[in-house]
Amino acid sequence: MDELELLKKDWKKNEDTKYPKLSYKEIYGMILKKSSSIVKWIFIISILEFAFWTLISFAFKNTEYNKRFESYHAENIMIPFLILGYIILGYFFYKFYMNYRTISATDSAKILMENILKTRRTVKQYVGFNLIYLALSAFIALGVQFDRDEEMISLVEKASANGEIFKFYAVTIILTLVFLGLLIAIILGFYYLIYGILLKRLNRNYRELKKLEV
Amino acid sequence: MNKELEHSFVEELEKNQNIVHKVCRIYTNNQEAHNDLFQEITIQLWKAYPKFRGDSKFSTWMYRVGLNTAITLYRKRKRSIKTETFDAFQYKIKSEPYDDTEEEQLKLLYKAVHQLNDIEKALVFLYLEDKSYKEISETIGISEVNARVKMNRVKTKLRTILNP
Repeated sequence: MDELELLKKDWKKNEDTKYPKLSYKEIYGMILKKSSSIVKWIFIISILEFAFWTLISFAFKNTEYNKRFESYHAENIMIPFLILGYIILGYFFYKFYMNYRTISATDSAKILMENILKTRRTVKQYVGFNLIYLALSAFIALGVQFDRDEEMISLVEKASANGEIFKFYAVTIILTLVFLGLLIAIILGFYYLIYGILLKRLNRNYRELKKLEV
Repeated sequence: MNKELEHSFVEELEKNQNIVHKVCRIYTNNQEAHNDLFQEITIQLWKAYPKFRGDSKFSTWMYRVGLNTAITLYRKRKRSIKTETFDAFQYKIKSEPYDDTEEEQLKLLYKAVHQLNDIEKALVFLYLEDKSYKEISETIGISEVNARVKMNRVKTKLRTILNP
């Protein structure tokens, strides 16, 4: 006999008696408990990410560096840049929320997985945006400093008097790049780890379904 | 209103709880994991219940949410320690006398099913539940042809696991 037929025969046998019977009360108790689903975890982590990047921008507000930066009077560059940042944050948050709302356990397995991965992708794009934003701000800030910071200007003059102006620019830019690169690598590594663990099973199952379509 | 909803839901689930137990049986292999998955499926069913419109049967709807939870949504609550293997975990399969070879073969079969991946388990489960290929394909989200092809592959895979 076909293996599965044998299994089916056994599967159907004594269906009414072989499984535990939970009472009304026990089931009622269960619906009061909290879910520990993957969607909930993605939601929590995403909210933390949004909070993290918002906090970072606030944390910079009162630093020495920021005060010094204000003395350059570069508001005409920084304020539009800041506003753009908030608009984009708003857009991502809206998109994330809409994606999150479409997740429904009553869809087919494939659609459900796709919708979960979509919320994940939105947050990934948000993180990507933040990293680009971070790099851009660093370079704009550097440009403003070259232009308006007195200490910097005197350093530039000194270097140019020594005939080392090119070296000076190169070293400053390379140092900034290295610092940014390290920071970005750490942040990306962290995300990779969290989502790698969290989404391992989902990604595997989604790939398996995808494979069926070819 | 909410109380009413709770009441009708719990009553329906109590009546149809075997479906959830069966999903747990396919996807878990010890008592603790079974209970944990049962709990999560119950929560997911309850969360989705307000959207249950009754255009399909409650039981049909349960298959979908149950499998989705097992395949995609579920994350283990605790690190489950594998204390009991599936063989020891009794579903009272021995309530009728089997001949030894058949019983032995069944044990191996259940063990083999547990070695399948999550999607393959879903296919086997729906097959054991006598679902049509149309329903299987709609639940999983693949075409009917692909469901058939995959089902045949699963059968072959099971055979290979059993007779290496």
